[in-house]
Amino acid sequence: METTRKWRFGVNRWVVLLLIVLQVVFASLYPPIRPHIQVAPEQLSDTPLFTLPVIGSFYMTNTLWGMVFVDVIVLAIVLLVAFGLRRNSLIPRGLAAAMEMAVEMLYNLAESTAGKAVKKIFPWFATIVIVVLIANFTELIPMVDSVGKLEPAEHGYTLQQFFPWLAAIVQGQGNYAVTPYVRTLSTDLNFTFALALIAVVMTQIIGVRSQGLAYFSKFFNTRTMFTTPIFGAIDFLVSLLELISEFSKILSFGFRLFGNIFAGSVLLFLVGSLVPVFAQSMILFFEFVIGLIQAFVFGMLTLVFMSQATVGHISEEHHE
Amino acid sequence: MTGDIVLAAKFIGAGLSMIGALGAGVGIGLSVHGALGGMARNPDSYGTLLTNMILGIAFSEAIAIYCLVIAFLMLFVL
Repeated sequence: METTRKWRFGVNRWVVLLLIVLQVVFASLYPPIRPHIQVAPEQLSDTPLFTLPVIGSFYMTNTLWGMVFVDVIVLAIVLLVAFGLRRNSLIPRGLAAAMEMAVEMLYNLAESTAGKAVKKIFPWFATIVIVVLIANFTELIPMVDSVGKLEPAEHGYTLQQFFPWLAAIVQGQGNYAVTPYVRTLSTDLNFTFALALIAVVMTQIIGVRSQGLAYFSKFFNTRTMFTTPIFGAIDFLVSLLELISEFSKILSFGFRLFGNIFAGSVLLFLVGSLVPVFAQSMILFFEFVIGLIQAFVFGMLTLVFMSQATVGHISEEHHE
Repeated sequence: MTGDIVLAAKFIGAGLSMIGALGAGVGIGLSVHGALGGMARNPDSYGTLLTNMILGIAFSEAIAIYCLVIAFLMLFVL
């Protein structure tokens, strides 16, 4: 047993050394260049997919391909787990066991925060965590942000043709730039704001379903207005602030995820073009941690806001 | 000439907008300080403190992220 482990370690060492040498050779042959950075997702075609009368035209963007990619991965996990559970045994194995462990961990976390309302909240929490996690991790896959369509650009680079179907842009003044086919989904503001809207709107719906119309007394607090006029007025103003903070939740949800992941991909581009050999590996690990934490934070904040919406206002408990 | 001035203003503005990250740094430091103190005094509360600390860090980090988004908007969009 010991000898086989030693042997495998030795082979891995030479493979790593070979990869480092290859990296150095390729980085000196074809020095990496700084890609064009753009906040809005790039359009892959000039003809719109469809046009709505008031809103405008919808184009096929590269983040949409990223979304297709994420959806395919999520569906593949679902099918594999369902297939793994189809077998007639109580103990799941492989991916099914791993997913069961992950979902159980998330469920325990949700139960410790939400208490009795966990059955209503958990689907939203777990869905958001899983989708955002996979969307963030597509950033780490090689060739996601770098393989794409060559397009003429004003401040571009020179083109080098390798095969009739393969070309690359290399160092030097020219007029070509790459538009990647697939870009990380979380670097699109539409995705993050759609998720934020879903989270905040569902928070209101869950609040109304568990408390009825009394939920809105959180936003228009007129309960103490007539018994104690001065403090009642202050309470009313504070509850209006609560209403504003509900809208700012959407902004902070959306910008937090977008900013973290977009900053991460810009950091990857810049470090990759400045120090092509070792530095990017460390940044990749950093991005792995950031993606994990941001997915967790997005889900966790949804969970906390939803469980706050299910329990009544604090002053209500004091009065009764 | 005017293009150069606009470019310089973009860079200066992006740099200035990142000053806001100062506050987020102080806030993250304070929340980790409090959480670590709590963990040292009561090691059993490690799990709940860690989750709440990460939540608090995410809230204060959001401020720095707003600054970063503004800087990106200045550099790459405007």
